[in-house]
Amino acid sequence: MGQRMYQWLDKRLHLGPVKMALLNEPIPGGASWIYVFGSITLFFFLLQMVTGMFLAIYYSPSTEHAYISIRYIMDEVAFGPFIRSLHHWGASAMMVVIGLHMLQVFLYGAYKRPRELLWIVGIVLFILTLAFGFSGYLLPWDQRAYWATQVGINIVGTIPLVGDVLVRIIRGGQNLGAMTLNRFYALHTLFLPWLVMALVAVHLFILRRVGPAGPWDEVRAARFQEPFWPKQVAMDAVAIGLVFFIVVAFAIASPAPLANPANPSDTTFMPLPEWYFLFYYQLLKYLEGPWEIVGTLILPLLFFAALFLLPWLDRRKERRPVSRPMVMSAGVGFLAVVVTLLTISIREVSSIPKLDPSVLRGKILYQELDCAGCHRIHGEGEATAPDLSYVGDIRDRDWLIRHFRDPQAVVPESEMPEYGLNEQELNDLTSYMLVLKR
Amino acid sequence: MNTSEEKGRRTFLGWVTGVIAAVIGATVGIPLVGYTILPALKRREPEWTDVGPVDSLPFGIPKEMACIHTIADGWHKTTTKKSLWAVKDKTGAVMVYSPICTHLGCGYRWESEQQKFHCPCHHSFFSVDGKVLSGPAPRPLDTLPTKIKNGRLLVIYKEFKAGSAAKIEL
Repeated sequence: MGQRMYQWLDKRLHLGPVKMALLNEPIPGGASWIYVFGSITLFFFLLQMVTGMFLAIYYSPSTEHAYISIRYIMDEVAFGPFIRSLHHWGASAMMVVIGLHMLQVFLYGAYKRPRELLWIVGIVLFILTLAFGFSGYLLPWDQRAYWATQVGINIVGTIPLVGDVLVRIIRGGQNLGAMTLNRFYALHTLFLPWLVMALVAVHLFILRRVGPAGPWDEVRAARFQEPFWPKQVAMDAVAIGLVFFIVVAFAIASPAPLANPANPSDTTFMPLPEWYFLFYYQLLKYLEGPWEIVGTLILPLLFFAALFLLPWLDRRKERRPVSRPMVMSAGVGFLAVVVTLLTISIREVSSIPKLDPSVLRGKILYQELDCAGCHRIHGEGEATAPDLSYVGDIRDRDWLIRHFRDPQAVVPESEMPEYGLNEQELNDLTSYMLVLKR
Repeated sequence: MNTSEEKGRRTFLGWVTGVIAAVIGATVGIPLVGYTILPALKRREPEWTDVGPVDSLPFGIPKEMACIHTIADGWHKTTTKKSLWAVKDKTGAVMVYSPICTHLGCGYRWESEQQKFHCPCHHSFFSVDGKVLSGPAPRPLDTLPTKIKNGRLLVIYKEFKAGSAAKIEL
């Protein structure tokens, strides 16, 4: 059936030469497992496109509805958590395989003449992928999204002279809000996909014009060639299948997180970027005061300039790693720094005490009792009773518990009603009050 | 390597590629189909709305009650306030009427002096148990499903087509 349909089409469209051109690309030195990363990256880009399009069926890009629409996907749509988690973990997988793809090209010196353009388009695709990650992170409009994006944008603000203007342009106004969400959404779902698709086409076109580099040993490379189909395709497929099912396992075992709705006045939230930005986040912790700009501007500029200029910085024809000690040690050094920073960061992050559950229960109690009907915390709530924004600085546990038990016994003129809280509720509400510190 | 061995190898590799593609396609495709169509096919469960304590109803005298009615359209929830007429009979059973006149959909009210429901638009009159006493109304007042739970009156809010002799839910 498939064969006959193909013949029918072939008679009219003369597919033979197209098929030959697509599948018979010669690979110097033959197929190899080391060449699979480009294909895996392309596969994950396509998977992100598909899962992303389907997420857009239910997602609403507005500050009022973004969060509840994602909540709806997670709670009520059939397979919703699975599709969103595939998108979430697919993004991480894409970062990993792009990294491996770049490392392979770097190790094999495959960026050298005549493949400089292939490398440069690849670097642009890498930057666009980072932009995909950053813009997509905001879309759920939860606490993680809001605060991590706030920090990310503020990093741009430290650039001298143009920082403030850039921040306004990225935010679409003075504050992180409705305008920011809409432009991030447009960027993430319209601008970037088209741009990346076009550049992937250019990337593949250049690859077909210059051909794959093959092994660094020129003698081995010249010894024999093997077409892309069927062995390299099968190797790519096996590798794609393997990584895909790892991502599926992650998606099932650890669904994409969704924190509380974004709340600009909640200062207890500790924002963290996605793991692939963590090493940079850690680096920024060490660079304070006048050194800040080194982390926010100079190092990133140097890093990307070095990447773009690599084919000209390492221009000798020699591709064997042992004959390129300078470039190799620079690469290894960079990796060592990244891995070290990432390790320290993960260790620090996991050692932060998780928000005390008693504090969370106290916070819920605060809402249930409608304490904000009289008290104010960071501008939210009425101001008829004392402001509680920093109550943790002026009262201790004992005082607070006695006061909640019988307000007038501690403050005779208090108008606060006695709520008849039980021991646990007294403790929870007190725990919440005590984290409200300067 | 002879050609038949080579052909067999090529067929095997093609087969491996095809199977992996099919498995990935199914793993993504089947959930995506369910994701797209199942929420659209899901029937909305009628929601019971709490309209107040049953004790607040006097015996035999209709009382207008407010019903906060929530309509869920996916993640979009809209609440509207509707009024209802509730009557408790001597046995304690409660009847709840839709607030819309069965003639052309106007709001009617209870005339306590005449002990009748009266629709001011075209002067349909209904008895306390909802029957048409006079006027153009084609059918009795529309009753709504009710239940009493922990002393609270719960109602499923519905609207019905006006002007027809049969009670047709909208």
